[in-house]
Amino acid sequence: MNLEGEHVFKGPRDEVYGMFRDPEVLASALPGTQSLNMVDSNHYEGTMNVRIGPVSGAFSGKLEIADEVAPEKCTLIVEGKGAPGFAKGVGHVHFSEQEDGTTLLKYSGDVQIGGTLASVGQRMIDSVAKSMIKTAFETLDKALEARLAAKAGQEVEFKAPTEAQFAAGVAKDMAKGWTQIAEVRMVLYVIPMAILLAIIGFILSKCN
Amino acid sequence: MSGKVFGQSVTRNEDPYLLTGKAEFIDDIELPGMLHAAFLRSDYAHARIKSIDVSQALKRPGVVAVYTAADFGDYWRPGPLQVPPPTAIKGSVFHARTLVPIAKDKVRFSGEPLALIIAESRYIAEDAFDDIIVEMEPLDAVVDLEKALEPGAPLVHEDLESNLAAHVVQERGNYEEAAAKADYVIKRRISVDRCAGAAMENRGLLVDWNDRTREMTIWASTQAPIPLRNSIAARLGLFESQVRVITPYIGGGFGPKIMTSQADDVLLPIVAMWLNRPIKWIEDRRENFLATTSERDQLHYAEIAVTKDGIILGVKDMFYHNTGAYDPYGMTVPLNTQTHTVSNYNVPNFKTEVKMVFSNTMVVTPVRGAGRPYGVYVMERLIDYAACELGMDPVEIRRRNLIRSDQYPLPTGIIGQDFVEGVLDSGDYPEELRKAVELIGYEKFIKEEQPRLRAEGKHKGIGVVCFTEGTSVGPYEGARVTVGANGKVNVSTGISTQGQGHFTVYAQIAAEELGVDVRDVNVTTGDTGHFHWGAGTFASRGTGVAGSAIHLAASKVRQKAIKLGSKLLGVPEDQVELCDGKVCVAGDHSRFISLGEMAMKANPTRGTFEQGAEPGLEAVAYFGPPYGSTGAGALAMIVDVDPGSMDVKIEKLAIVHDCGTLVNPMLVEGQILGGLSMGIGNAFYEQLKYDENGQLLTASFMDYLLPQATDMPDEVLLGHVERPSPLNELGMKGVGEAGAIPTPACFAQAVENALADCKLQIAETPLSPSRLFELVKKSTEK
Amino acid sequence: MTKLYTIKVKVNGTEYERSVEPRLLLSDFIRHDLGLSGTHVGCEHGLCGACTVLFDGEPMRSCLIFAVQANGHEVQTVESLGTPEHMHPLQEAFSEKHALQCGFCTPGFLMTLVPFLEKHPDPTEEEIREAIDGNLCRCTGYQNMIGAVQLAAKKMAARQEV
Repeated sequence: MNLEGEHVFKGPRDEVYGMFRDPEVLASALPGTQSLNMVDSNHYEGTMNVRIGPVSGAFSGKLEIADEVAPEKCTLIVEGKGAPGFAKGVGHVHFSEQEDGTTLLKYSGDVQIGGTLASVGQRMIDSVAKSMIKTAFETLDKALEARLAAKAGQEVEFKAPTEAQFAAGVAKDMAKGWTQIAEVRMVLYVIPMAILLAIIGFILSKCN
Repeated sequence: MSGKVFGQSVTRNEDPYLLTGKAEFIDDIELPGMLHAAFLRSDYAHARIKSIDVSQALKRPGVVAVYTAADFGDYWRPGPLQVPPPTAIKGSVFHARTLVPIAKDKVRFSGEPLALIIAESRYIAEDAFDDIIVEMEPLDAVVDLEKALEPGAPLVHEDLESNLAAHVVQERGNYEEAAAKADYVIKRRISVDRCAGAAMENRGLLVDWNDRTREMTIWASTQAPIPLRNSIAARLGLFESQVRVITPYIGGGFGPKIMTSQADDVLLPIVAMWLNRPIKWIEDRRENFLATTSERDQLHYAEIAVTKDGIILGVKDMFYHNTGAYDPYGMTVPLNTQTHTVSNYNVPNFKTEVKMVFSNTMVVTPVRGAGRPYGVYVMERLIDYAACELGMDPVEIRRRNLIRSDQYPLPTGIIGQDFVEGVLDSGDYPEELRKAVELIGYEKFIKEEQPRLRAEGKHKGIGVVCFTEGTSVGPYEGARVTVGANGKVNVSTGISTQGQGHFTVYAQIAAEELGVDVRDVNVTTGDTGHFHWGAGTFASRGTGVAGSAIHLAASKVRQKAIKLGSKLLGVPEDQVELCDGKVCVAGDHSRFISLGEMAMKANPTRGTFEQGAEPGLEAVAYFGPPYGSTGAGALAMIVDVDPGSMDVKIEKLAIVHDCGTLVNPMLVEGQILGGLSMGIGNAFYEQLKYDENGQLLTASFMDYLLPQATDMPDEVLLGHVERPSPLNELGMKGVGEAGAIPTPACFAQAVENALADCKLQIAETPLSPSRLFELVKKSTEK
Repeated sequence: MTKLYTIKVKVNGTEYERSVEPRLLLSDFIRHDLGLSGTHVGCEHGLCGACTVLFDGEPMRSCLIFAVQANGHEVQTVESLGTPEHMHPLQEAFSEKHALQCGFCTPGFLMTLVPFLEKHPDPTEEEIREAIDGNLCRCTGYQNMIGAVQLAAKKMAARQEV
């Protein structure tokens, strides 16, 4: 599966880059993250528990940051696995400063999935992935706003969404395009998807 | 040929039990102290196993044991080759790499078992999946058949030089010479993708080891109870008589249940001995999609050489056949393809070459049709391309080349799945085609309806194809027929039943011979405690082979009854007859002895016994044909294509079939209708799709589309041509796979005819609305 | 161990009180806890329809709901229709028209069709196809079921007249 897209952060590149280098912010953008540990400056390990409806799954992942040219670009190699299957991805992330002082993030990646994720979830993964990325960016936008405000001496509350809020967001996005699909089960498949997506998001966020 | 009950459409003896929920299927059986098994399966299609840590799983309450390959020691070894290699074919190459019971060192397809968990409930066993830590090193996967044979491709079996599993070339005549003389030689690349058996009941096994009597009872949803028992006994070092395999009611077979060396077959018996408790395993639907076997996955480079009059001079077909990660079932499927590529037609020069390929996908073994549908698909497509090229009517070109009814028996020069040269024993292919064309109203449709519909902007098309169906192959089956003291008849045979109606068809055969009511014949299939010789249910052979054995055994019982009756009634044998459950004096039915009384008298418990005689009103007989009998038929359909959505509706379908003598016409038609629905699925709905990494993307009924009631044709017409086979006394041929064989080929022709006439040339199956859309788009771009 | 819940369910007219895990599927409860194995499970994801039962009179897939959700409700399974000796008219018609082969999916079809026939005493072919479209059968190709349902409708009408 190929993923491609872009997002504009309302802040200078250095600030955006700094935010992505902060594991706490990162973890907050990916609800369900139980731990995110830096092994060395280019390697992280994390575990994530995603729960939607009656299904839950633990996913453990490894992230490697390669070819990093801070704060401009990097390549992320991610591997995650757990009960719902596995995901392996390579993502290229590129940050560019824009004239209006914002930062444009462009990403492209190729993700391989396996196990239940692939065998029962493949046809939904694309839309779930996009939805999860969107939700993660929205969270990061808020985090960036809070950081910038803090710098300026103001207090803006940043509260990461709960797992439930996050899941609801994804489910809502999914429902827009997939209202016709076999009722109950669909919801179940969202969960493994969400986990996968979380991993992808994890990669992306790391890169920034 | 029909009698009082033989040849009649009697309703089925088994129905009342099935309809009221009384019939016992494997998951309905509960034994005291029974444990439940679940398999942790590989997510990767190709990977090296570094470690499997089950320690946490063992701590989970309710988990009794967890096993990996290492725990089985020397007991772990690849399963037997279930079908012998094709050594009868000169120059053939075959590398046997049979199924391993549980992955050791490396996994070769996604879904291959890694660990076996035994727990107090299935829920707990599956909970334990989360506790097991598997470390694997992923390897590049082999999926594409042509790439698999390129130098440097990753190897599924690293002890082999390449992924070539087998190579077989067969030829009759000389194709190259024929092609040189032809006016036209048409070449195409034709692909056929996978489908599942998808029986509504998944597989299952229940093993009960009795430590005191040292006997094992196994309930299995298998098509091959006797081979299963034999292989389990051999592995455990037991006598066959210590292992009893019982098949309860089975919820459909369609091929994949023929396997006897899957993980459950091999591992559960020994674990049941170790733990000394009964263990049940019931496959779930996802496991069925991933790891039971499936079929249809070939790529053909085919060509046909024809004269300008449409006479076929020769056919050449080089094809790749995907056997999946292992090849436990030998070459049955590709050999069927070879024998069914040209069998309806006079093709003097025919060359067929198969390269069987290992890949990181589920193992391929027969599924209803078993290689036949794509032999037929390739041939029928080639004829259609030729008809287009020549501007000839598709029915006419077929007529000109069909084997005539006076040509039988006709040796084909091609060795088939039973390792003898195929011989077409009987039939009347031109008559089948004629009848199908008449039933569908071909002339009227082409000349009147289609021009009118086209003028109205509608896209309706017609297709007509022919097919053969090799059935009733050897080696043999046997049966025991016994008259009980209750006056009723018991029939036992070694094959098992998956819904075909054997309990009734066999009862009809015995009842006719013994003059009893069909409801008074009890049939037991697939219980090695009742009958323990035979091969199994495959290749549409249940009625033709086992049915013939039952007929022979019943005839022997009849002879015995007449002989004893003559003695007891004091009249010569030629004046004794069997009627209504009695042995009577011909012409005076008031003088009789009931069969039940005879049965008692045939088993004297005091006095003397005639030397050389056999006790009881009972007989055993075996039947094995020299080669399989060949059924055949013609299929026609009219489709309506919506050019906007590319949805296709089959409006009308006519099928004419010859399965020799009809034992029960209603059940024969049921078989044909069921086969047709599978064929329709294979043509337009069902597809097991793998991605390039060997991940199956269609492992649920959400993505794997089984035809539903509204997908079936609005109108189905059935016709029979009855040409009894000379290969068995009752003249029977099989019918189980008929409907599934010609359908994709006919569908493709009809869709082409509906859309564009020659501009669109379909060379693949299955289709789908989106695939059809792409093909049409491509054809109009040209 | 998960907490057990006590549920009361009326199945085929008999009241049952059982303690179950909250995750126990209704299909497993019916089959394994109550021993009513006529209800079959073919896919465990709600698509094949083999496990269809009547839940307060309406067809429902018993693999898609939990046993605890049936607390206080009424369930009917294929065992409620008829016995081998005295079959329901629909069961008779299925046999007479050869509308079943392996019979695994059949209880699900019957439980879908019983309420359908109550609402459609004289159904058209199209209505029947629509009614059974959510149930999968691999053996029969559905064709003979159409005739069986029409025959059942006639049988039921005749019985009512008597």
